[in-house]
Amino acid sequence: MSEPIIRLRGATQHFKDPTAFVFRPRLVRALDGVDLEVHPNRTLAIVGESGSGKSTLAKLLLMLRRPTGGEISYRGVDHRKLGRADMKRFRREVQAVFQDPASSLNPRMTIEESLSHVTRFHRLALASETQAFISRHLESVGLSPAAEYLTRFPHQLSGGQQQRVAIARAVLTSPAVIVADEPLSSLDVSIQSQILELLQEVRTRTGIGLVIVSHDLGAMKLIADQVAVMYRGKVVEFGDHVFDAPQHPYTRLLLDSQLSMDPRNRRPIRSIEESRDRSDPAANGADGCAFRHRCEFAMDICARTAPEPAQIGSDGPIIRCHAVADRM
Amino acid sequence: MTEAVHAVPAPGADVDLLLRVENLNVQLHIGAVSVHAVHSVDFHVRPGECVGVVGESGSGKSTLARAIMRLPPNVSRVEMSGIMEFDGRDLMTLPGETLRKLRRESGFSMVFQDPLGFLNPTKRIWRQVAEALSDRPDTPSRFERATRLLDEVGLPDPARVARRFPHELSGGMRQRVVIAIALASEPQLLFADEPTTALDSTVQLLVLDTLRRLHRDRGTAMVLITHDLSVVAELCDRVYVMRGGEVIESGSTTDIFDKPKDPYTARLMELSRASHTLAGAQPRPGNG
Repeated sequence: MSEPIIRLRGATQHFKDPTAFVFRPRLVRALDGVDLEVHPNRTLAIVGESGSGKSTLAKLLLMLRRPTGGEISYRGVDHRKLGRADMKRFRREVQAVFQDPASSLNPRMTIEESLSHVTRFHRLALASETQAFISRHLESVGLSPAAEYLTRFPHQLSGGQQQRVAIARAVLTSPAVIVADEPLSSLDVSIQSQILELLQEVRTRTGIGLVIVSHDLGAMKLIADQVAVMYRGKVVEFGDHVFDAPQHPYTRLLLDSQLSMDPRNRRPIRSIEESRDRSDPAANGADGCAFRHRCEFAMDICARTAPEPAQIGSDGPIIRCHAVADRM
Repeated sequence: MTEAVHAVPAPGADVDLLLRVENLNVQLHIGAVSVHAVHSVDFHVRPGECVGVVGESGSGKSTLARAIMRLPPNVSRVEMSGIMEFDGRDLMTLPGETLRKLRRESGFSMVFQDPLGFLNPTKRIWRQVAEALSDRPDTPSRFERATRLLDEVGLPDPARVARRFPHELSGGMRQRVVIAIALASEPQLLFADEPTTALDSTVQLLVLDTLRRLHRDRGTAMVLITHDLSVVAELCDRVYVMRGGEVIESGSTTDIFDKPKDPYTARLMELSRASHTLAGAQPRPGNG
């Protein structure tokens, strides 16, 4: 496989819990020992529920945060050794698309002003050619004729159009990587599929590495080459065929929770006891597997030690689970 | 009089409707701009029925619900015309005080998408549930009754949750607290506006189970407003599809899912199906 553009090794992000009692500080392990590589020409989906650390991971990949432990490297250079010039290159090469396009565009700037700002900063085009440069990119994301959009302000565009502008701004710098954090979740269903197609089209046309953070498993199944499933700050399953052959009990639970779109084949109604919330928000310590309270395969060892990542078979997924490792 | 509201009437039978809306028009005036948000909508709910209203953003589904609840959006002026009746009583002209009494005593409750905006941040959970209880002298203490409602919606350790404040709960827990509050008045009709949209899929299932148990055990009629067709497939007997303030299609859930008549409905259906076909999610015959 090619050299990764971004690589995480045991990356850890711990915060002090702001709600904890002052004299008894508590750590929030937002990310705990994450290994991940971002390669060109590949779509990596990071899925998980709220609080799983997937957005923290996106911020780390964008180096909007530095890890509190472990390392992140960019083109083989450790983050602590990246100088000013390296970081400027990183900022050009690694672009972001966020969840709410309305708040990621400056409301006081027209689309042209927003995009020419980026063009000037990274010196992407001569001043005389800036407008043509921007127009070309707007049209490449389906906003054509570009002249119609250049003079508009963000609030004059629909949510889908705003997200297209955000994507145009990201591709403006000819990036090597685009990290999109929940790019679909503020959009209507009919727009979601268009944005998903656009992202995939940009990926195949330009050969970037695309990282999409999402809780929408169905959409990710359509687009992802590789999937990382996160739970409580850890990647519990990582592989190419996670949706087709899920191994980790949590991945299975997630897939089983998807509704079916079939009114003739409804799920049985669970009793109050069965549908009680068993996730324990306090189970975020270093000891044991964080998923054990909800896991039907939980064993004694799960309460004592956290499972280490292990590969299933020679080309199977890498998962963190005692029970599945046992069965091998 | 329609006392026995819990019985599910035979389809097609000429029964009294719990909620009857005919030719409803809602115009919102925002400054100098006016929007015809709901356009000649006919809508009804029979006792014990679960009805879905689906549409994308801007389709008018939430405005419709708010108009029926008489909680119009916060704009400079709202103009409404048409017929709205709940259990034979005219909702259009009912004065505010009578309306509140109707909502509290026999009537209807609403669950909103954002539970944090609905709950009082400075009051413990049980007090907020107890506030909505109709007072009857022969019942156990209000704390216990509030706790029992919290238990009924499937919250873990209800006695502990009862003493907490809203910010100490997760989003799914808060949403179930709001449902418990809605239940406190023993409503005949529950309006739920995007009740699971902000929730994770595993938590969404817990909330949907809560709603379905309610519907089954108490015979509560429900109106579910959502953009998510899979939620409708799981819960609703009938569906209204809205677009641009109009109902473009309505019918039984199975009919509409089998054979959508409107091309817009068909397109929504197709897109939703594409992102809901996942291996592992209950394999179906002929689905690899």
